[in-house]
Amino acid sequence: MDIMETKNLTKSYADFVAVSGLNLHVPKGAVYGFLGPNGAGKSTTMKMFLGLTKPTSGSFTIDGKRYPENRVEILREIGSFIEAPAFYGNLSGEENLEIIRRILGLPKSSVSEALETVGLTPFKKRLARKYSLGMKQRLGLAGALIGRPPILILDEPTNGLDPVGIHEIRTLIRSLPEKFDCTVLVSSHLLSEIELMADYVGILNHGHLLFEGTLEELKENAVSRGYPTDNLEEMFLALIDADNRMPEKRMPEKRSSKNWTSEKRMPGEHRRKGGAG
Amino acid sequence: MMRTFSGRRSVLPKCNGVLSGCNGILLEGRKIKRTGFFPAFFGGGILAAAVPIVNMAVRSEMYLGLQGTAIQILMDANWQMMAMLNVLLVVSGACLLYHVEHADGGLQKMRSLPIREGSVFFGKVAVMMLMCVLVLAMEAASVSFCSWHWFKGQAGGGQWRGEGGNMFAIELCKSFGYAFLLILPCVVLSFLIAEACKNMWVSLGIGVVCVFTATMLPTSSFVLSLFPFAMPFQVFAGMEAAWVTRFACAAVVEIVVLGGVERLVVRGKGAFE
Repeated sequence: MDIMETKNLTKSYADFVAVSGLNLHVPKGAVYGFLGPNGAGKSTTMKMFLGLTKPTSGSFTIDGKRYPENRVEILREIGSFIEAPAFYGNLSGEENLEIIRRILGLPKSSVSEALETVGLTPFKKRLARKYSLGMKQRLGLAGALIGRPPILILDEPTNGLDPVGIHEIRTLIRSLPEKFDCTVLVSSHLLSEIELMADYVGILNHGHLLFEGTLEELKENAVSRGYPTDNLEEMFLALIDADNRMPEKRMPEKRSSKNWTSEKRMPGEHRRKGGAG
Repeated sequence: MMRTFSGRRSVLPKCNGVLSGCNGILLEGRKIKRTGFFPAFFGGGILAAAVPIVNMAVRSEMYLGLQGTAIQILMDANWQMMAMLNVLLVVSGACLLYHVEHADGGLQKMRSLPIREGSVFFGKVAVMMLMCVLVLAMEAASVSFCSWHWFKGQAGGGQWRGEGGNMFAIELCKSFGYAFLLILPCVVLSFLIAEACKNMWVSLGIGVVCVFTATMLPTSSFVLSLFPFAMPFQVFAGMEAAWVTRFACAAVVEIVVLGGVERLVVRGKGAFE
């Protein structure tokens, strides 16, 4: 079952199209890696899911709820971290989470739980503006994880973290569906990053979805198209490069069912590698 | 091991995801911590309240022989300066409140949480209204003190008890209640400017320019006096009832219109971001 689904979702600014006719399917209980180079439209898509930016056309449903009719209900189910950690610098880490806790009507213990999850407990009394970049990133993640939302939208959550921090957050994200019974949509411009976390990937370039499916399906498709498959990074680059060389193919109406993305899957076809979802 | 399920976000909205008015104000109050907002208003209130006292202390002979009630004389003599300080406090307070939202992306986080769009804005307006009440109360206390200290024995002054005292209290409440109503359009417009400008110095600059523009507008023109930053300079004491009503109605209309503009801004925001 797809917990998040978009139908021809489009966002344009004057003559620039940031997201074009996007048809995304995020299965429930999966970690969905949203991949694409900088400026591909990943953040814009995520912002649309959160109501931070309005779609120019198209629609989306999240857990069966439609935007904008059910905006508040949708946001109640989503924990998010978009672009950069957002917080109040004049408040401590704990006070920042306390504000979110009050809005969500969660028990007091949820603040310490979220701080513990991201390893910020020893620094909870420190002002957020005095946090290091990595600590700010963790605070942003704690703000997304507080109350264990059924859906998590994380935009490049490992930015600014040291290798140990990256590993910790990656492990945490990987464990979330099982631990908290939630669905994670995580974006990155690094395939190696996504490869270690995601069950499904969606590859976006210039606002178009080039591929959607499992990593195995991605490899199969790459083989059939003659792209290198030894290294996933190279495969990704070849895919982006091929798309960049054929801009005319980006028109949504020209995409056929044989294109990378357009194969419509039936509900239930998305199955996690572990069998869950 | 899985933790208890009690702390999980409710999939079914508890209160329709909308903060109640009181909670919204408390939440906005929490965000102000360590910004210097409360000390600024407290200090500003003391400064504005000191204006009539200092003025009377250094040149009381100029005012004691004048005709009219004590409140009327005191307000005519000091209100322009007091109102200027009030408006500057409102402008700088609005900039400060939105600076904490813009500086580290707090506002974006709020917009991604299940609260009604615009609740942050109206919560801040409510906090500012409370601070205006505090400042005006300090100013009213100062005017009362001046009246008692310097206008003993004159009409409408220096009486705390009996009918004279009641009359004075009513007149004082009317004057400062009116001042409160007329400062509200300025409060809402200041917040609209502060919300629109991510850089605090830009909104502060616009606000200061508006304040000085307001002081230069001729008070004889009713239309020009309706500029939201000029409204707080109106004095209730001694004003004809018809004009009082006109200004009061204009203030209410401005508040409603500016509130509507905020709604439009909130709705249009996502389309351009």
